Amino acid sequence: MGVAAAVNRGVGADRVRRVALVGNPNVGKSVLFNALTGAYVTVSNYPGTSVEVSHGSVTIAGVACEIIDTPGMYALLPITEEERVARELLLKDPPDLVIHVLDARNLERMLSMTIQLIEAGLPTLLVVNIMDEAERMGITVATELLQQRLGIPVIAAATARKRGLAEIRRAIVAYERPNCPLFNYSPRLDQDIAAVAGLLRGEYHISAKAVALLLLQGDDEVAALVAASEADNWEKIARTVKNKRFERRESFNVDLSMERKNVVSALLDGVLVLPEKRRVTLGERLSTLAVRPLTGVPLLLVILYFGLYKFVGDFGAGTLVDFFENQLIEAYFNPFAIQLVKAVIPWEIFQELFVGEYGIITLGLRYAVGIILPIVATFFLFFSVLEDSGYFPRLALLVDRLFKKIGLTGRAVIPMVLGFGCDTMATMVTRTLETVRERILATLLLALAIPCSAQLGVILALLSKVPGALLVWSLCLLLIFLVVGFLAARLLPGETPMFYMELPPMRLPQLSNILTKTYTRMQWYFLEILPLFVFASVLLWLGKITGFFEKAVNGLSPLMAALGLPPEVAVAFIFGFFRRDYGAAGLYDLQTKGGLDPRQLTVAAVTLTLFIPCIAQFLVMKKERGWKVATLIGVFVSLLAFGSGWLLNQTLLLTGWL
Amino acid sequence: MTCGFCGHVFKEEDGIRGCGACGLPGKCHMIRCPKCNYENPLEPALLKKLRTMFTKGADE
Repeated sequence: MGVAAAVNRGVGADRVRRVALVGNPNVGKSVLFNALTGAYVTVSNYPGTSVEVSHGSVTIAGVACEIIDTPGMYALLPITEEERVARELLLKDPPDLVIHVLDARNLERMLSMTIQLIEAGLPTLLVVNIMDEAERMGITVATELLQQRLGIPVIAAATARKRGLAEIRRAIVAYERPNCPLFNYSPRLDQDIAAVAGLLRGEYHISAKAVALLLLQGDDEVAALVAASEADNWEKIARTVKNKRFERRESFNVDLSMERKNVVSALLDGVLVLPEKRRVTLGERLSTLAVRPLTGVPLLLVILYFGLYKFVGDFGAGTLVDFFENQLIEAYFNPFAIQLVKAVIPWEIFQELFVGEYGIITLGLRYAVGIILPIVATFFLFFSVLEDSGYFPRLALLVDRLFKKIGLTGRAVIPMVLGFGCDTMATMVTRTLETVRERILATLLLALAIPCSAQLGVILALLSKVPGALLVWSLCLLLIFLVVGFLAARLLPGETPMFYMELPPMRLPQLSNILTKTYTRMQWYFLEILPLFVFASVLLWLGKITGFFEKAVNGLSPLMAALGLPPEVAVAFIFGFFRRDYGAAGLYDLQTKGGLDPRQLTVAAVTLTLFIPCIAQFLVMKKERGWKVATLIGVFVSLLAFGSGWLLNQTLLLTGWL
Repeated sequence: MTCGFCGHVFKEEDGIRGCGACGLPGKCHMIRCPKCNYENPLEPALLKKLRTMFTKGADE
């Protein structure tokens, strides 16, 4: 008795072989599952729970297999709902093969579950995964010796790099139930187990030893199962379990953990060789430097200087924009388009719509393709490199302390970082922050002081040509971000929650990942902005022919005068209301025509960056925070933008800095 | 797919899709990580197809 009938039933050649992948979370189960199954996957909730389980079908060397990706589990004794589901999948209808996937870097900690699976009599195959990282750390694992000691097949793998996949496939097909050795505990524990196991009379899917151990660990579900199966015998079993637990002063679980640790240590003696001095990888060294304030802040500044200033600002918004806008569009494409439109459309008013001052082609398309696209391309390339290296979670830890002062936590780095891509999307992501207070604060700061990628690129390109302007702009933005955040955090009641996160390893960015992510983001961005730029051009054209646009520019003139700016800058502000990047492109246009001196350029850049969020961002703010909060933020941001612009202009006039 | 922020590996269908609340044209090409909610770009269908072709070739 003891071992499940299902386990003993063998696998016929004509029957689908059921293979379950088990293991701790984040050991590469899903990667292995995807590699084995490909596209033939179904995902469903486990009955009566919200836990999802994936099933996939695959034929390996003529054998039809069903692969089951179970939720992460740490031991056969479950604590979470996920672990409960994973165990039920193993115990209620045992698979023909259980593949235990573990992380080679944490072999000592994770091997305990392999012992439990073998003890339970489940047909187990061990995959020692993430071997590439372990080897890089100087860890060696003698898998053949481990295989001898465990009595089950052991495969070294790095599934993310496709290493070991062929061996795993072969092992799935060729697997035959081996005779596993018994793992001996101390005589006292073995006696306790034998005392309970010897009383079991029912039929179970797992071994009597495993059932006895779960009972002794106080597993209520297994107790209920055994009670139903044993009927009259249960009382005696329950009494024995109770006595054994009492004899150990309820420390059975701790005792068992210690004993299992000893078994694992004996198994790994000569199998696991750790480097004498733990080899610290370059990634680990960089990771430590990135999270410590003393080194992390200078590192961040270096990244921003080379990534944003030199690459996005200098190269993207300077060299590339010059090439696309001036050398391609202005020199060749626009004259051709103007000629063509004038030849095809006889009415001047409609010619204006396409190739006029605010024409769809001469303004909308030129802004989208000539100015914005090169900038977002370089920005997303830089962004993808940082993302793929694993730098962002380090940034979250680095700024956590500072963010706590403004009522946020390191978690808010996610919307803030995304905001540099697009503030509209980032505003939507604020819903993931823990408290309403955090969400409002993050929404406000996004609307106020986080420029989106294209706006940032254009402003960097414009200001980098004027010595000192970029420094003034950066200091203004940082100061306003911190002061507004600090004051808003004091005005809004509530506590700042704790922030903790598991750091993924820092890694060398992969070219294929960077290119895919950059291409995807660019495609999404371009498809999104192009219709909006065309729409904005049509509105501006309508505004021009009705005289409304002129009135709006005239209406804003006193405000521009107060800021020390020429009336034409009002155009950039009107553009900016359609989209932040559209406004920045307007400013770029104005500056390239020589319309602004250094002081005016700096004041306009600061005001425009702080100025009211674009229509799309406002709509998301309304959706996420409601009309009241969205309107309040919109009004506050606009007043603060012009107030700050005025103050900056006065300061610059008085000091004569620029 | 692997989350660009927390490194969590998840299936595309397990990710959180956009709600379209921003009113922007076209469908959202972003998918949020079920663990940390970071927005990850969805791999374009063409690239996915190409990758599957090459992966299959390599596996065989």
